[in-house]
Amino acid sequence: MDEGFEEVEHTADIAVRVWGRDLAELFANAAYGMACQLADVGDVKPTIERSVELEAYDAETLLVAWLGELLYLSERDECVFIDFDVSEITLTRLRAIVRGGAVKEYRRHIKAVTFGGLEIRPTSRGYETTIVFDV
Amino acid sequence: MAEKKDFRQVEKYIWELPRDFRKDMRVPARLFGDAELFDAAFRDRTVEQLVNTATLPGIVKYAMAMPDFHQGYGFPIGGVAAMRADDGVISPGGVGYDINCGVRLLGAHLERDEVAPYLEDLTVALYRTCPSGVGGKGRERVSERELDELLVQGGKWALKRGLARQEDLAHTEEGGCLPGADPGQVSPRAKERGRPQVGSLGAGNHFLEIDVVEEIYEPNVADAFGLWRDQIAVQIHCGSRGFGHQVCDDYVKSLQAVVHKYNIHLPDRELVCAPLDSPEGRAYYGAMACAVNYAFVNRQVLAMGVREAFEQVLAGKVKNFDLYQVYDVCHNIAKFEEHEIDGRQARLCVHRKGATRAFGPGREEVPISYRGVGQPVLVPGSMGTESYVLVGTQKAIDLTFGSTCHGAGRVMSRRRALKEIHGAELRRELEAQGIVVRAGSNKGLAEEAPAAYKDVSRVVEVVHALGIARKVARLRPLGVIKG
Repeated sequence: MDEGFEEVEHTADIAVRVWGRDLAELFANAAYGMACQLADVGDVKPTIERSVELEAYDAETLLVAWLGELLYLSERDECVFIDFDVSEITLTRLRAIVRGGAVKEYRRHIKAVTFGGLEIRPTSRGYETTIVFDV
Repeated sequence: MAEKKDFRQVEKYIWELPRDFRKDMRVPARLFGDAELFDAAFRDRTVEQLVNTATLPGIVKYAMAMPDFHQGYGFPIGGVAAMRADDGVISPGGVGYDINCGVRLLGAHLERDEVAPYLEDLTVALYRTCPSGVGGKGRERVSERELDELLVQGGKWALKRGLARQEDLAHTEEGGCLPGADPGQVSPRAKERGRPQVGSLGAGNHFLEIDVVEEIYEPNVADAFGLWRDQIAVQIHCGSRGFGHQVCDDYVKSLQAVVHKYNIHLPDRELVCAPLDSPEGRAYYGAMACAVNYAFVNRQVLAMGVREAFEQVLAGKVKNFDLYQVYDVCHNIAKFEEHEIDGRQARLCVHRKGATRAFGPGREEVPISYRGVGQPVLVPGSMGTESYVLVGTQKAIDLTFGSTCHGAGRVMSRRRALKEIHGAELRRELEAQGIVVRAGSNKGLAEEAPAAYKDVSRVVEVVHALGIARKVARLRPLGVIKG
């Protein structure tokens, strides 16, 4: 099944390559890819709903802000988000509803979403990018 | 992409890439290591990241990577870069997300045999008194106002609150308080994340360890540090928790829009920076200093938790269960220091990202009690393996802006470690070696397995041979606590 992301090698941290047909799908897949690094998401029941609204300097900064916002909400509300409904997105603005729930055991902690080598590239099938997480 | 042939071997353990290798480099790049470590630099993006670092405005002498180098983001891990205070930049990516991640070493008045019967109990007690794990809440509760005071005063705040002793502060880098901290430059979110976590270990590569001193290399220096063979010691390895992560995150994001204003061109966006002498550069420094002080307090509060655990378990059973502080060092930091450049004293902002200050005798930054021999340098190994106490040297000041290695350095990705190493099996192996382990998760354990790291002894041999720190003592773990 195409989950929209794959883990790639990084010596110390975690790197995930993400793709999507459009920016909304790219951002949703990136968030799902991150959730899979945090915990086994199979048994997460989406009982918590939050709305997210962000503005940023450019598309890459928006992506870092988006994932950072989800990490923050996860820490604050002690849950992992697995369902992402990106209703509005431009290169500098995003609006979404996210849903998640508590997990029994975390796989690991992610300290931050980095800009290391970050570039959102258009492809023949949409967009792709590789994100490095500091763990 | 640089290849081995592009480097020139300057000395046995120094490999230099000339400035003209890439046209945006402002200084040459230097890798420190033996032939095998040098080879490893070409297996990930270490060299590319080091070359990128060499392009930052105001950088002097060399962009350097200590022998425990490996790929990071922005700077390589093990990276050292010094920028002129007047026209150089400060880069949040050159400090990292875990601002003032560091190590504290406590010495006991006890020997291995005296503690052996209580080791299991001690490890369990430490797991209880020193909170760890993902999202773990800390030992201390602080109000918003108290947090602001903590951020400005660092160790002195802990002292006033009865969470430190005067001699703990004296034996902490910067005396436990980096000047220039400005809570006004810290976002509400960073403060919100920081408030509940004061005195918590966290997860990842952070740990708490009961060690035994198994070897002394320089008895007179070990004596000055209060270390002897067969002695029990405790290491605390952690940083500024969610507070520091958020400070870095905030500034890496906000500075994205600023670099153009100062006409700075960057090969990697994680290297985002601002002139030291600019409102944005000063703001980051003020916020970073808050995170540095937060981390000093965090380790201080944990040290009190360690003392509590020792008292709980050992009171009435041994003569003296007290622990004294040997030293506390920063591994991720940028700070102002005086160094000699072309025969003149210059004020520099030295970035150490996965590197340790290693000042030799005589420097006024070294505590009086150690000034005759040089500062202690604490180099933790990977989980279950040996750690080292080194001493700083004049050679380090001459060669690396007074810097040396900070640990073993990873060689294997977490993904491969999880595939190849089974957490439960690793736990049994460590226990078979007589090491008591308390860890939150087996997967966390597997990711931090010794096989995922370089051999710390190899790294230490290189810095010792280079003279950018000398071996004083080797520690062996007896009990490990991990988030």
